[in-house]
Amino acid sequence: MDYLIQIVPAVAAGLKITLQIFVITIVLSLPLGILMAVGRISKIAILRKTMYAYIYVMRGTPLMLQILFIYYGLPFIIDGFTLPAFPAAIIAFVFNYAAYFAEIFRGGIQSIDRGQYEGAKVLGMTYIQTMRRIILPQVVKRVLPPVSNETINLLKDTSLVYILAMNDILRITRSIVQRDFDTTAFLVAAVFYLFFTFILTKVFGYLEKRYAVYDE
Amino acid sequence: MSFIEMDHIRKSFGNLEVLKDVSLHVEAGEVVSIIGPSGSGKSTFLRCLCQLETINSGSIVVDGKTMASTPAGSQRAVYAPAADVRAICRRMGMCFQHFNLFPHMTVLDNILEAPRVVKKMKTEEIMPQAEELLKKVGLWEKRDTYPSRLSGGQQQRVAIARSLAMDPDIMLFDEPTSALDPELTGEVLRTIQQLADENMTMIIVTHEMAFAKEVADRVIFMADGIIQEQGKPEDVFEHPQNERTQSFLQSMLRF
Repeated sequence: MDYLIQIVPAVAAGLKITLQIFVITIVLSLPLGILMAVGRISKIAILRKTMYAYIYVMRGTPLMLQILFIYYGLPFIIDGFTLPAFPAAIIAFVFNYAAYFAEIFRGGIQSIDRGQYEGAKVLGMTYIQTMRRIILPQVVKRVLPPVSNETINLLKDTSLVYILAMNDILRITRSIVQRDFDTTAFLVAAVFYLFFTFILTKVFGYLEKRYAVYDE
Repeated sequence: MSFIEMDHIRKSFGNLEVLKDVSLHVEAGEVVSIIGPSGSGKSTFLRCLCQLETINSGSIVVDGKTMASTPAGSQRAVYAPAADVRAICRRMGMCFQHFNLFPHMTVLDNILEAPRVVKKMKTEEIMPQAEELLKKVGLWEKRDTYPSRLSGGQQQRVAIARSLAMDPDIMLFDEPTSALDPELTGEVLRTIQQLADENMTMIIVTHEMAFAKEVADRVIFMADGIIQEQGKPEDVFEHPQNERTQSFLQSMLRF
């Protein structure tokens, strides 16, 4: 018990990095993902193809590799351009997750009946108005379950930043385990992750309920 | 000059020519019904008028304003600048077979949405008209309901009110009762009849022969991408001249 009281605050110190990366990535990658999804289905071929290639690369390579590339590889490409660990990690996470979100939103947008576009068009709405007011609000309802999934994935993926020597929950936990030759800290870390997953599940459950006021 | 002038409209989907040189002029206040077998091009024709399809060649002029024209010697229609086309289309309301109401909005918001977004009107400004329209179609009590909770007939009436909220001069109906249970068609047809009584210019694509006969000033029979016959409802229905019209009407009457 004494040991727990001693290590819980130590593990909790890693919360700051874990949650910072999580929150910043969500806030930036969701809107970016929506824009990319719209680009991915654009009538402008160059935009559509660029997005296709981008999403292919980001989904086709490990996030870990992308983090390493931005941190260690970028200085070689842009001469002498180095980023501190935190922004490097954020960039990798945002651009990686935006690609996944883009695919989720693309599927959502394409699942909306063509009649919705036509209904909006004959009422005089422009494409942007139609997207913003008619299509995307309906897409949000449909993509909530996969977005929820991806968000929980992100929470756990934040642990990849250990590779840049950033002290998130998992890296601190590992150092405690190695120091004390005691695996209790792993359980503590697991409880932290489960706690936040629980909150996320509740938040998405609430959103799904709110969007359940209408059927399609 | 007629209110709506569509001349020599040609439209193909790939290799399939759906409209083969179709011309139709409609006067202000006139109600025109288009009947014909499915695949005859009647829906496509209507969709060309409100820009849901672009024509290959021909011309469309509404109230003297040219939306599309085909220069002499050319095979391709040229459209007016997008803003002009939009302005012309704004004078038309369109109701669809499947209503296309916005499922994520209440009945009232479905009505308010386009005036708010397109005309930049404030909710208070539109409210009196929205109330009047919903009362007119008998659904004011349902204003806070979502469309999925309504019957098909009620949904179509909301869709009509939604179109009318944009103050159109022309109403287009694309098989407005085809997706409805038979006992629900009456309420929708009565609403359309009411518009006809108010001298709304309308083009109605329909399978309801009795209704077409009742409401229309003129009936158009289309088949194979051309207008086969047209005239006063009594003439077309009782004394069809064209062989295709005769066999079509016979097959409709058999049931």
